[in-house]
Amino acid sequence: MSSANGTVGHIVSSSSGMSSNLHISSISSDEFCSIKAPFITQSSGVLRSTAFREYIKESNISSWCTDSLSDFLDYTENSPLQSSNLQLMPSEDVGKPNDWQDWADQLITDDDDGVSPNWNEILVDTPVADQHPKMAYYVGKASKTSSSLKLSTPVPASPGDACTPMTPSSCGSGSQSKPRMRWTPELHEVFMEAVNKLGGSESATPKGVLKLMKVDGLTIYHVKSHLQKYRTAKFKPVPSSEGTAEKKPTPIQDLPSFDFKTSLEITEALRLQMEVQKRLHEQLEIQKNLQMRIEEQGRYLKMIFEKQCKSGIDQFGPSSSTLERSEPELTNEVSSSPSQLETEPDPIKVELTSTEKQQVETDHSESQPSKRAKLNESSTKLS
Amino acid sequence: MKFGKRLKQHVEETLPGWRDMYLNYKDLKKLVRLISSSLEYGKSEAEFVYLLNNEIDKFNMFFMEQEEDFIIRHKELQQRIKRVNESEPSSQEEYEEEMSRIRKDIVDFHGEMVLLVNYSNINYTGMAKILKKYDKRTGGLLRLAFIQKVLEQPFFTTELVSKLVKECETTIDELFPTAMVAVELKDATITMVGEGIFRNTVAALMTMKEIRNGSSTQSHFSLPALSLPDTELIRSFQLNSPIPSI
Repeated sequence: MSSANGTVGHIVSSSSGMSSNLHISSISSDEFCSIKAPFITQSSGVLRSTAFREYIKESNISSWCTDSLSDFLDYTENSPLQSSNLQLMPSEDVGKPNDWQDWADQLITDDDDGVSPNWNEILVDTPVADQHPKMAYYVGKASKTSSSLKLSTPVPASPGDACTPMTPSSCGSGSQSKPRMRWTPELHEVFMEAVNKLGGSESATPKGVLKLMKVDGLTIYHVKSHLQKYRTAKFKPVPSSEGTAEKKPTPIQDLPSFDFKTSLEITEALRLQMEVQKRLHEQLEIQKNLQMRIEEQGRYLKMIFEKQCKSGIDQFGPSSSTLERSEPELTNEVSSSPSQLETEPDPIKVELTSTEKQQVETDHSESQPSKRAKLNESSTKLS
Repeated sequence: MKFGKRLKQHVEETLPGWRDMYLNYKDLKKLVRLISSSLEYGKSEAEFVYLLNNEIDKFNMFFMEQEEDFIIRHKELQQRIKRVNESEPSSQEEYEEEMSRIRKDIVDFHGEMVLLVNYSNINYTGMAKILKKYDKRTGGLLRLAFIQKVLEQPFFTTELVSKLVKECETTIDELFPTAMVAVELKDATITMVGEGIFRNTVAALMTMKEIRNGSSTQSHFSLPALSLPDTELIRSFQLNSPIPSI
C-alpha cells in the first residue's frame, strides 16, 4: 500500500488486511447541509496527496470518520479546521447522490437492543449533524456490492427478538464492505430451528436457512458464514476429546486406585481456574463501569461550562457569589485545553475498598451536588 | 511507557490468533509526537482520527466475530451436557471421563470469554490514553467527544459476552461435585497454569493490576489502583509455571 508518509504507511501495514473499493467525495462547507455525500473529509490538502488518497481507496472506511469529522467542524469554534477549504471531488463508481439518500433510508435499522450507536444522541445540538446519521450507515457499502444490500423493504423490527442489528462498521477481509452482523442468542435460536427443519447442519443450505428464518436485513452471506461456524463447532468436540484422552497422563480406566485422586486434583485445579477467571471478569466489569462514569463526569463538566457561558450567572440560582468562585474554577478547568483538567490539584478520587464499595469524592461539590448524589447512588448499586 | 510495555507484554502472551487484533499503541504514540511538531494541524488531525477509526473497525470486527463464535459454542456445550446426562451411560467410568472433559472444556470456554472482555477493556484503555496524549500534545479537544463514540462501539458494549459468562458460571456450579476434599492440589494446579487459557487469564489479571498501579499522571480521569486480596497466590502461579511455549 502506498502511503502519505512513512508513519502512516507503517501503521497501515500492521493492521489487518482490508480491501474495499471506496471512493471519497468531499463537499464544501457551504453545501454541507444540502448535498448528501457518503463521505466527507475536510482538508483538501489531505485528499490532494494522491498517495493518501490511494491508501484510502484501498482500505475500509467506516462511517465513523464521517461523524467524527463533522464533530470537528461543529463543536470547536476556534479550531483551524473550519478554515480549510473543502472541494468537491466526484467519485467514480458510486451512483448519484439521490440514490444514496434512498439507500440510506432503506438501510437504517432500528436499534432495539441498542447495539447500533444512537447517532442522534452522539451528535448533540448540531442541526447539520442530523443529516449525517443516514449517511453514516452505508459509507462502508457505497461501492459495487451496494446492490446486494439494497433492501426492497425498509427494516422494521422482526417478530420477537430476531431483529438483526446491523452495525455501520465495515466488514472483515474477504467480504467487501458488507455490514457486519451482530448475532444474538435469540437470532441463533431462530437459525438453529431453521437448520433443524432442513435436516441438520450438514444438509441445510444457506439459501434454505435464510428463507426459513424470515429475518429482515439478514443476507445469505451472514447465514453462510454463520452456518460454517456452526458446522465447525459441532464437529470440533470429537477430535479434541480424542486428543485429550491421549494427552491424559493417567487414563482413568487403567489406574482405578489413583483415578479418584487425579480427577479430584484436576477438578480442584479447575475450580481454582474458575476463581481466577471470575475475579478477572468481576474486575473488568467494575473497571468498565468506572470508565463510563468518568467520561460521564467529563461530559457533564463540559455541559455545565457551556451552559454557564451561554446563559450567564442566573442559571445557577441562589448565591451568585458561589458562582463567581466556581466560575473561574470551571473556566480554568474546562477551557479549550483539557490538559488543564488533568493537572487539577485535587483530582476526583474513586476508592475501592476490599468489599468493593465505591465513593466518589469531588471538590466541585458546589457546582454539581446532584451529580455527586447520582454517582454515589449508582456506585452503591455496583457493590 | 508503562502502559505500552504492559500492552506489549500482554500481546506477546496472549492467544496466538489475537495478537494482531490489539491497539497499535506504540505507532499511534509515535504519530502523536510527530503531529505535535507538525504545522498542518487540520491535516494531521484528520489522519489521526482516520487511523483511530481503523483501529476501532479492527476491534469491532474481531470482537463480533468472537462473540458470534461464543454464542454458538455456548449453545453447543449446553446441548452436549444435556446429551451426556440424558443418554444411557455406557459405564460409570466413561460417564466420568466425558464429564471430566466437559468440565475442562467449559472452564476454558469461560476463560476465553473473559479474555475477550479483557481484550475489549485493554483496547479501550489504550484508546483513552492515546487520546489523552493527543490532547496534551496538541492542545486539542479531541478526546472528550471521540471517547463518547468509543463507548458506544460494539467492541466496548460487552454486555452479551458478560451475560454468557454468567450463564456459564451457573452451569459450571451445577457440574462440579460439591464434595470438598482437602487435596494436595498445588502440583496439579501449577501444571495446569502452564497451559493455555488458565495461563492467559492469570496473566491478564496480573497485567490489569500492574496497568492500574498508579500512573505518573493520575487525574480524575484515571482509574484507581487495583486491590486483589489473593494477589500473592495468583502471582505465585506465574512464577512457578513452566516457561510458556508460544
